[in-house]
Amino acid sequence: MRNQPIVWIALIATAIGCPAAGLGQTGKAGGKSADTKDLPYDAHDITGVWNPAPYMQPKDEVNPLALNGEPTPLPPFTPWGKQKYAENLKFIKAGDVNDCDPFGTARNFFTPRPFEVIQAKDRMLQHYEYYDNWREIFTDGRGVPDDVDPDFMGYSTGKWEGDAFVVDSLDYNGKQFLTWTGLPLTESMHQTERWQRIDHDTLKVYFTFDDPKAYTQPWHITFFYKLKNWRLDAHPCTLSELKKWDSLGHKDRLPGLDYAPAK
Amino acid sequence: MARMAKILGVAALMFFAAFAPAFAHHGGSEYDTKNPVTLKGAVTEYYWANPHCQIYLDVKDDKGKTLNWAIETLAPAVMKRAGWNRELLHPGDVITVTVVPSKNGTPVGMVRKLVLPNGQELGPGQIGEQPPQ
Repeated sequence: MRNQPIVWIALIATAIGCPAAGLGQTGKAGGKSADTKDLPYDAHDITGVWNPAPYMQPKDEVNPLALNGEPTPLPPFTPWGKQKYAENLKFIKAGDVNDCDPFGTARNFFTPRPFEVIQAKDRMLQHYEYYDNWREIFTDGRGVPDDVDPDFMGYSTGKWEGDAFVVDSLDYNGKQFLTWTGLPLTESMHQTERWQRIDHDTLKVYFTFDDPKAYTQPWHITFFYKLKNWRLDAHPCTLSELKKWDSLGHKDRLPGLDYAPAK
Repeated sequence: MARMAKILGVAALMFFAAFAPAFAHHGGSEYDTKNPVTLKGAVTEYYWANPHCQIYLDVKDDKGKTLNWAIETLAPAVMKRAGWNRELLHPGDVITVTVVPSKNGTPVGMVRKLVLPNGQELGPGQIGEQPPQ
């Protein structure tokens, strides 16, 4: 696999920097959204398509999209974590990326593309447009089984605590960055999230990353998402399209930003 | 090959001009985001697929020489929300495109605005929510 996601995010970021088409609740080009934030809502219903609003993140937190740019706090690395982060940065600059891999349950949320939440009787499903990643959060009261094979998306359980949907995730395989910026994610990660719909249009997610191999103490990111009436459009990572893209001359165009599996 | 060479010259874009000062370090390294240019010419190819779409456009420079520009867009999913679609452009269509060009002078750019033959204007798509104006 290649560095196409890097190209992708670079392009997007480029576009973000552009005067962009106004996309509102209608999802139509140029359409401004009506102000619907004051409409009534059910705090326990977070079904729908949500689009990240990174500008709402508190400025004193680790910025998951600060790609070697503006100064930003760094999380409390262990010596190993600090070294791994340095290696990841070198890897990012080298551009030798390997990426069709699922982004995991942190980086997916910090990718500025929408995701959909579907609430079922015994699970909450999350579908991320970028790369077509899916996540299951079991809500039937189970714990994490002992025989789970670690993977990119981990294993998640969730429950409502008042108006907050609280998610616990374990069993990551450690083969992905936590963020686009190369922050490490290891097999020791225990990720928790508190989801709160704070108005009709806005979802607040408070992430806690407890990964003692890489970080000396748990640390947090608060991210916000806006409700859209969009339909997600598949954007899978396919080898045929990557090959075509490379044939257009895009291979190795950019420094990579993706994960290098640990040797 | 010429096209490939042109595109290969492009590179690392600009992560970051606006969305985030955060993206600033990659930003603009290859695209001159402060000096967009407007091109008018005939479409020679329109590539609609992930990870990005691309328009190839024959444009005459000031000396009358025709250059085939390679103009990138974002992914189809993003472009659809900005009103674009697979059948939007066809070879021979005369369009006007504003791009941020490659800093190295190659005829390569990233779309900022498209004006169709019928005068309809389309934006470049966006990712993430923008702060309220």
